[in-house]
Amino acid sequence: MGFWKEESCQQHEGNCETMSATKVSLPPKENAHFKRILKCYEKKHYKIGLKLCNKILNEPAFSDHAETLAMKGLILNAMGRREEAYADVRRGLKKDLRSHTCWHVYGLLQRSERKYEEAIKAYRNALKHDPNNIQILRELSIVQIHIRDLRGYRDTRHQLFNLKPAQRASWIGFAMAYHLLNDYDTAYKILEAFRKTQNPRDGPVYDYENSELLLYQNTILEDSGDLESAVKHLIENSSYICDKTTYSETLANLYLHTGKSKLGEQIYRKLINANPDNYAYYQGLEKALAVEDNPREKVILYSSFSKDKKKVCLPNRMILEYTEGEAFLEHLRPYMESALTKGAPPLFTDLRPLYTDSNKVITIQKLVESMVIQLRDYSRYFEDQEVKSAPASALLWAYYYLAQHYDHLGNHETAMSYVDKAIDHTPTLIELFMCKAKIYKHTGDLASAAKWMDEARELDTADRYINSKCAKYFLQANDIEQATTVCGKFTREGATPLDNLNEMQCMWFQTECALAYQRTGQWGESLKKCHEVDRHFNEIIDDQYDFHTYCLRKMTLRSYVQLLRLEDVLRSHPFYFKAAKCAISVYLHLYDHPLKNQSKDEQISTDNMSPADLKKMKNKQRKARKKLEVEQQAAAAAAEKKEHHLKSKQNASEDGDNHPPPSEELLPEKLSSTQDPLKEAIKFLQPLQSFAYDKIDTHLLAYEIYSRKNKPLLMLQSVKRALKIDDRHPKLHQFLSNFQEYITSRISSLPDPLPEFLQSEMAKIYTAKVFQDIKDINWDSIESKTLFSKHRGDDSSITALSDLKLGDSPSN
Amino acid sequence: TRLRPRGTQSWAGLGSTRLVEGQCARRKTRRSLNGERDFLPFLFRNLITVRNKSVICKLEYQNDMTRARIALGEVTVHNIRQLKRLNTVVFPVSYNDKFYKDVLQAGELARLAYYNDVVVGGVCCRVDTSNGQRELYIMTLGCLAPYRRLGIGTIMLKHVLEYVRKDENFDAIFLHVQVNNDSAISFYQRFGFNIVETKPAYYKRIEPADAHVLRKDLRENNNSANNSINN
Repeated sequence: MGFWKEESCQQHEGNCETMSATKVSLPPKENAHFKRILKCYEKKHYKIGLKLCNKILNEPAFSDHAETLAMKGLILNAMGRREEAYADVRRGLKKDLRSHTCWHVYGLLQRSERKYEEAIKAYRNALKHDPNNIQILRELSIVQIHIRDLRGYRDTRHQLFNLKPAQRASWIGFAMAYHLLNDYDTAYKILEAFRKTQNPRDGPVYDYENSELLLYQNTILEDSGDLESAVKHLIENSSYICDKTTYSETLANLYLHTGKSKLGEQIYRKLINANPDNYAYYQGLEKALAVEDNPREKVILYSSFSKDKKKVCLPNRMILEYTEGEAFLEHLRPYMESALTKGAPPLFTDLRPLYTDSNKVITIQKLVESMVIQLRDYSRYFEDQEVKSAPASALLWAYYYLAQHYDHLGNHETAMSYVDKAIDHTPTLIELFMCKAKIYKHTGDLASAAKWMDEARELDTADRYINSKCAKYFLQANDIEQATTVCGKFTREGATPLDNLNEMQCMWFQTECALAYQRTGQWGESLKKCHEVDRHFNEIIDDQYDFHTYCLRKMTLRSYVQLLRLEDVLRSHPFYFKAAKCAISVYLHLYDHPLKNQSKDEQISTDNMSPADLKKMKNKQRKARKKLEVEQQAAAAAAEKKEHHLKSKQNASEDGDNHPPPSEELLPEKLSSTQDPLKEAIKFLQPLQSFAYDKIDTHLLAYEIYSRKNKPLLMLQSVKRALKIDDRHPKLHQFLSNFQEYITSRISSLPDPLPEFLQSEMAKIYTAKVFQDIKDINWDSIESKTLFSKHRGDDSSITALSDLKLGDSPSN
Repeated sequence: TRLRPRGTQSWAGLGSTRLVEGQCARRKTRRSLNGERDFLPFLFRNLITVRNKSVICKLEYQNDMTRARIALGEVTVHNIRQLKRLNTVVFPVSYNDKFYKDVLQAGELARLAYYNDVVVGGVCCRVDTSNGQRELYIMTLGCLAPYRRLGIGTIMLKHVLEYVRKDENFDAIFLHVQVNNDSAISFYQRFGFNIVETKPAYYKRIEPADAHVLRKDLRENNNSANNSINN
């Protein structure tokens, strides 16, 4: 919590400066009050502060004192009374448009509501009247970096630097602004100049901040592409760098890229010696020795390591990657033997990457099957071994391996027979039940899958991993209630599981939940879950706010730059993709099938009613609806109030102006009855278009949206982008023929340059070879998709298949 | 709340981190009561404590020179289903809910046996004072078929014998065995148990229904019994 304190101190200074510049000056007594108000605000004694404000404002002479009004607003805001706060601050501003305090407070309010652009405007206005106010400049710079106004950030940082050249943070912030604008040279020079102002220390001293600064400076050099200088810089300062691992890693990497592979090799060997299980080091060594493309050399290299260190798995595993045929088998035997002896559950996961090579798959299968026979009959792995040389559990793990093996190959029956054999052998091993559940899932029997996963869960109720797996399986079987109960065994007491999972940003659960709601036609609930996930991403982006000051002060600059770069592409995360995809398809469904106010039964029953009855009933329904609406509103209001209360409590206990207003509650009914589902869908689509550009689903969804919005150009764009990614995707072909029909029927009605343009573009697409062979290839691709679908359990390819069957069935 | 990926706990964790309590690694030879030379190669006694929110799971390791690891662990509300599953497979008799409820209260008198970190055996006892004496009754002691003759039963029984020895207040240990279960009878006889009684029609739904009562008195030859276990 240290840094909050420090910040409030700075704020204190700032506000005092503000104070001294007050233009409409208060008499000494009131002035003393005003000073106390500032102190009370900093110390979070809001009630006292508010009283003092009222004291000043109650004096007739100062009832309109602008800055007191502003302070009152600020305090009210911190107490969670946002609307009153705005009223007061606006009044203050009106009274004195030239007061920087009023503008400053207005900016703070806007910032606390996450209206960053507005906040910047307010700060700029404040600075017009007090251009050198450090506090305001600092806050402005934070908001600027937060919304990535990099040029503005650089200018503000420059100003801060000029005003406070003695402060370390001024130099570093200034340099960082240039770094972020890719002006590496200036950034480097600023840091170099700053280092010269520091007193050089004698000999190596443990100064972590200095070490981080040096490494950061080195990153700038590396980013600039001047690798020679980076090497030189790193070596010169080696004695000041505390993080020796990063030092070696960076140096080795730099050597590789400057053609000094001999030196790089030495360092990589040292690194491997220190941590023989880091694959990156071996990759580096491969590059240094220039054996990347030479499997034989690589085998020799890894063999040398596997001899050195008996206990290390990685080199042994890598040998399996690069050997073939007999040699592969020779290395596979001891590898399997030691893993089965140990009882390594992840053995299959470990070897699965080898399954891209069908020869290796056969070798593995033959080997393990022969091992099973030897283990079963003689308790040994191989014929040339002594009887009973293998532990009794080895057979179990061999069965388990084969179950996973056959499951992976799609041979579910054999997989099931092996897992059953294993369960007969040892019915207490939890992994077996999980495996069984997985096989059921892959056969499409989701209910049985959930049942078996629950069985596994009950064997160890303290294991949260199985608990979560089990919840996921229940969700996939559309049993949301059961899933919630299962999760509830681990969530915090006193809150409902769903609330707690939302609070904990448990996105996998929420996404699976949304999908389950979607499958069961509960559109509003599904959308609610998707929006919750979307909000988590917003929260994560907002959470970086605190780091803008913290990182500069703590000198964790490399991590900070990484953080900024991560936040820039945050929505590229698969979690977002999945949730957005779900939301878009729900909105598309709602567009195609808008929800009706009355339920179906009622509609049917109205058919055979007398007009009088009908009228009566309609009245009744209207009343009922009204009542329901009122109730809903009341419930919503109550919920909001509760949340508001909670938040304001939080605000009072923590920092007043760093928490956003309580966001609007997500109501399923409201979400599903949206007036413009396509507009909502586009909101989810946009991040996908920028961050999930290489996924075909993005463009297919885009097509679906734009085809409903009648936007031929955007449809064309989506189709073209999708074609670039996978021109054999079955759904894409469906869309292509759909698109052709659409254009042909409407081309005449389009405004002038469009028909010609579209025709030429269409010609390009539809004369391509792929489309010529559409019928044959299409069915090929569907077969390959459904048989070897990478996302088993994901029904997209199956839907595509059924859609296509309805759409254009092939002639044969 | 435990947050560990399945599989990492068992084989990675236990091998490397060991909290050793009273390590005694020595070669043991002893003569059992019936005069056979019994050889226990190399005995480690390590205590491994895994803590989480509600469970403290103690695994007591006995390591021999072979590659298998055998250990005893507590029965808790979280893993009792494993014991249930084990008992339904191992014993022809099925036990009711009360049995398992009592087991949870039994503390050291209920143990699961782990072989290479897989549950393969279990022992459950209770204190019986029904005939005026303080006796320990072994309700179940069993091991899955593929893991028999590996010393797991011995470790479980030794755990029980050690318990009564430390307690010093037991008059006897006894248990029931189906009359045709020769391997079990000879197993207990090796530890100084004797058939003292045969109860006809003791079991309800299994054949043969008769049971031997195997009993080991602790009062008369307290010293010799202790010596034979611990020397």
